[in-house]
Amino acid sequence: MKKKDKMTPFIILMLIPGVGFIVFFIGSSISITVLQSLGFFNMMGESGFTLGYWKSILSSREAIDSLLFSLRMGILSSVGTVLVAFPLALFFRKSGPAKGMLGSIIKVPLFIPALVAAFLILNLISYHGLINTTLMRLNIIDEPLRMLNDSFGWGVITIQIWKNLPFVLLILMSAISSIRDDTIDAARNLGAGYWSVLFRIYIPLAMPGILVAMILMFIKAFGDFPITSVAGPVYPSSVANRMQIMANLYQEWNQAAVLGVIIIITTFFVIWAYSRFAELVQGGA
Amino acid sequence: MATLKLTNLVKHFDDVVAVDHIDLEVADGEFVTLLGPSGCGKTTTLRTIAGFYYPDEGEVYFGDRIMNNIPPNKRDTAMCFQSYALFPHMSVWDNISFGLKMRKMPASEQKIKIERVMEMLSLSELGKRKPGQLSGGQQQRVALARSIVTEPEVLLFDEPLSNLDAKLRVQVRVEIREMQKRLGITAIYVTHDQDEALAISDRIVIMEQGRIEQIGDPYTIYRHPETQFVAGFIGLANIFDGVVLEVEGTRCTVQAPFGNVLINAEGQEVPHKGATIHFSWRPEDMKIRDRTSKNQITGNVLQAVFMGDITDLFIEVNGYKMRAQSDDEAKIVAGDSVSFGIAEHAFSILRE
Repeated sequence: MKKKDKMTPFIILMLIPGVGFIVFFIGSSISITVLQSLGFFNMMGESGFTLGYWKSILSSREAIDSLLFSLRMGILSSVGTVLVAFPLALFFRKSGPAKGMLGSIIKVPLFIPALVAAFLILNLISYHGLINTTLMRLNIIDEPLRMLNDSFGWGVITIQIWKNLPFVLLILMSAISSIRDDTIDAARNLGAGYWSVLFRIYIPLAMPGILVAMILMFIKAFGDFPITSVAGPVYPSSVANRMQIMANLYQEWNQAAVLGVIIIITTFFVIWAYSRFAELVQGGA
Repeated sequence: MATLKLTNLVKHFDDVVAVDHIDLEVADGEFVTLLGPSGCGKTTTLRTIAGFYYPDEGEVYFGDRIMNNIPPNKRDTAMCFQSYALFPHMSVWDNISFGLKMRKMPASEQKIKIERVMEMLSLSELGKRKPGQLSGGQQQRVALARSIVTEPEVLLFDEPLSNLDAKLRVQVRVEIREMQKRLGITAIYVTHDQDEALAISDRIVIMEQGRIEQIGDPYTIYRHPETQFVAGFIGLANIFDGVVLEVEGTRCTVQAPFGNVLINAEGQEVPHKGATIHFSWRPEDMKIRDRTSKNQITGNVLQAVFMGDITDLFIEVNGYKMRAQSDDEAKIVAGDSVSFGIAEHAFSILRE
């Protein structure tokens, strides 16, 4: 039998900073936000329970459009990044002479803040940016393409992929590196061509990593503020942008809190869905 | 089912020559073992047959088809890996059916074949399990089932038993041999375990440093090793140099450091008078208190290790050490003086 660790005063002392931080800052800030969305902790005027703020957000056209926009950015950015990163991760599975250099270059965006990244890409895809200028010079197009602040959000998705590719790549590479060479050889030996190996061996075996990468990417892109500010459409704004507008411009702190709670709930829901799906994928193994 | 032929096969890895001009012909339905120490090129040869490596020189033939640049998925081989290499995310059933699915066999036909193979290998109860839920022996049988279910032209084994415990190893190797005989599939088996090679093979190919040292059936390889390497690698051997003093037909008198010996080279290449030769004999050929054999040797026992059925003896003869194994009932201890007889046919004359 393993002896249960006793909570000595020393251990309690050591835990106070960490646990205290979690309970005080994270716990309290989340609960205050939730309570604010229900009418408590008012910045101005009377405090008291009301569902009015939720009602006004859920009946507001702008808020719903923002929510739909953020969901779209979250889903498409996460799918897009994984689609770009997975072939790269396969390519980097075996080290090669040129791959070390390429591997270093590809990690650069990891160390560039999202806002800076957005401005970097701006130079490329803006109305008078490098891509449009080049295409015009080559007489491929007559008029510059609108790749930035487009109403769909392609500009945002492009920057999200650029910024988060190395991060997703790291997750996928570690997932793929755990697949044994023998397993791949066995599949080929049994008659599997490249596509069969990809769809029947690599993807299913890397699925836990793929799911984690997609979840983390979704959460990042769904709650994004800086990239949408720079490259997003004029309307609608992302949920986080909308939150800032509500709080700073309209001084509607309670409605901003409602939007914050919506972001948190969506995130929790996605993580819950992930763990259910992961159970299904793992099966009995 | 097919014959297999390797001609002048060469495979380099950068500057290292892994396989160095190998020629080998394997008959239809034959069980051939590639045996040698690690790094001798046996696994490289096997993987070249499977198509995981393409040869730098020489040819690989299945029947009369050159297979050199055919990718592994287009070759009709099936390999059993040392690690089993089962697909961890698939059930036992799906693992076994993988090769049939790749061959686009109708599901109804697949079912019949899979059920038959699973029954042959007593896996019928385990179809829904995942590899992680099986014991080592069961995983090994699934790997075997997965490779034979496609009825390949050539079965390839890469040290398939080295992760099993000793008892299971003997049991599974008997199963592998019976299965291969029943199905009549040509098989190439790689191992570094000489007992396994002797027990399982029609023929053994002894490899060292990328080259073939000797090819022969287990009896010949053991009784008549042709090189010093083979004599030392398979079983135990006393190896000495000597000068041929006289030749009479196949019988040679050889002056060895510990004394003269009479060697009958019947069935071997008879050396010339005056030549310096290497020769060997097995410890069990030293018959204790045997007065009838032509060669009589008396030595002092340096060390006697009682092993139950035999006693392992380290003896000294005129200042030279040699090894003997006695199944005599009398107890022998260190310090005893013991006489041995060695039959004139017990010796092998070795190449460099």
